[in-house]
Amino acid sequence: MIEYLIKGPLWYFSLAVFCIGVLWQMARIVFAKGKTDLSVARGSASSGAIRNVFSRFVPHREIAAQIRLQVVAGYMFHLGLFALLFFAAPHVHFLEKHLLGFGWTPMPHWAFIVAAQFAFFGLILLWLRRMLNSVSRLISTTDDHITAILTFVVMLTGCLALGKGFHALNLLHFFTVELLMVYFPFSCLMHAFTFIPSRAFTGAWFGRRGIDA
Amino acid sequence: MLDSFRSSILYDVLKLTSTLLLVFMLTAPATAGPGPPKRPDFPQGVSTTNPGNDLWREVRQRDLPVTGTSQVKGVDSGVLINVEGDRWARFRIDNPVRHAPTLLVAVVLVLLAFYVLRGKVGIEGGLSGRMVFRFTDYERSLHWCLAIVFLFLAITGLILLLGRTLMIPLFGHHLFSLIASASKEGHNLFGPIFLVSLLLMLVSFARRNIYEKGDLTWLLKGGGIVGKGHVSGGFFNMGEKSWYWLVILVGLAISISGLILVFPNFGQGRVIMMVSNVVHVFGAIVLIAVSIGHMYLGSIGTEGSSEGMKSGYVDINWAEAHHDRWAKTCHENDEILSAEEFARLQGNPIDSGDATTGAAND
Repeated sequence: MIEYLIKGPLWYFSLAVFCIGVLWQMARIVFAKGKTDLSVARGSASSGAIRNVFSRFVPHREIAAQIRLQVVAGYMFHLGLFALLFFAAPHVHFLEKHLLGFGWTPMPHWAFIVAAQFAFFGLILLWLRRMLNSVSRLISTTDDHITAILTFVVMLTGCLALGKGFHALNLLHFFTVELLMVYFPFSCLMHAFTFIPSRAFTGAWFGRRGIDA
Repeated sequence: MLDSFRSSILYDVLKLTSTLLLVFMLTAPATAGPGPPKRPDFPQGVSTTNPGNDLWREVRQRDLPVTGTSQVKGVDSGVLINVEGDRWARFRIDNPVRHAPTLLVAVVLVLLAFYVLRGKVGIEGGLSGRMVFRFTDYERSLHWCLAIVFLFLAITGLILLLGRTLMIPLFGHHLFSLIASASKEGHNLFGPIFLVSLLLMLVSFARRNIYEKGDLTWLLKGGGIVGKGHVSGGFFNMGEKSWYWLVILVGLAISISGLILVFPNFGQGRVIMMVSNVVHVFGAIVLIAVSIGHMYLGSIGTEGSSEGMKSGYVDINWAEAHHDRWAKTCHENDEILSAEEFARLQGNPIDSGDATTGAAND
């Protein structure tokens, strides 16, 4: 009964909420009306957009030393999570069988473990830093904490189910993923889709005004 | 007729044959080769030695720990049955599995008794509200990261060590096997994170934890917890330094032995893995037991000590009570913040009229 619920109605519901929610949020951003910029352009908005998309991958030299922990832990977490999400063998097989109809070569098991360790270590450090730094703590919202904890739980249940001998552990992972998918469009997790448009928008604005930032 | 038969050649042949057969039957046991060794305490009349015994004695290699030869090339591939494995399994059940719960419960009870009898170790004059900087964001993040990972490993490790004895009666075989499987995967996954955190901890804190003059006095006076006299200490006192080195050294032993256990494909034999298991288990139990004391002293056991790892700042009265030599340098360098300044730094600005003693620590 529980298995039917998790792999049946709940899965289709969370998938629908995720897809419709993400599309709705992106549409809101794209079709949002802003003020028309009437100023004379001092530079290229396009080149500013492209430059900003890539330059933001590296911290500014002036503040690099102060945010070393966030940068290193941030890369560890995001790269680890990306590798887990798209190259873990169970995920590749699931995407091929249930969603896409095609697959790709998954990473070996040892790489899976290393990626998971990077992701866990990075996420724990980032969340601790958020809690322990007074400024970060002040600007953090409940959504930030829910997102961090939910992501951690999803990753943890996935890794605990690695033994493959227990179907209940797989179901638990499946269920937490569904929770994450339902929560995703209405949370700061949306930055997975918006970070490039956001950087491009800011970069174009800067580029048009000739701001080198 | 009978007389003629007795005088015939056939009669002579049969007579000789039967005589030879009789002689052979009587002497056969003595000439068939050496039998099983006779044990003086064994009743000779019921000798039922199984001819397979010798074979299995050789296979088990109990008396003759000689490695055989095999076409399979690998570590211990010439050993059919490892005798040490049986000894290790019995040792594991008789020692850590049997005594670890008693030790851990005893530690908790001792601390509980200490708290009831002694109470919270206070600060003379109470907390002032004036704060001094002690730990950076990075140091605190590292400390809590190590703590979280350690707790996770301790819980999953105890489930794997004691679960069969303590959890099966409670949860049954199926649920326990599910929990044990999850614990094993989680334990193996988080182990290397513990090692990396430990190495980062070593790099960040080692210099300040080198023993110096005056540390022995701290130890002889019981760290000020026993008795009421003031005990002098630097940035870290003798107790904190000893805990730090215990974590580093035992933590490294646990990590290295854990890696030996997780990666059996690097050529280590079974004996090395069994020794690693013993080191791993005993090191972990010691570290868990002492960490309970650390958690007690860092939270409810001592007034004002948790603040350092929460905000990074500590009350100057706390510093003077436990780390007077370091507090003296803070005074000399004018590093002490007022309650208002500290509250503002923490994003909780207060009116100067509210800056009463201890207000900033809430």
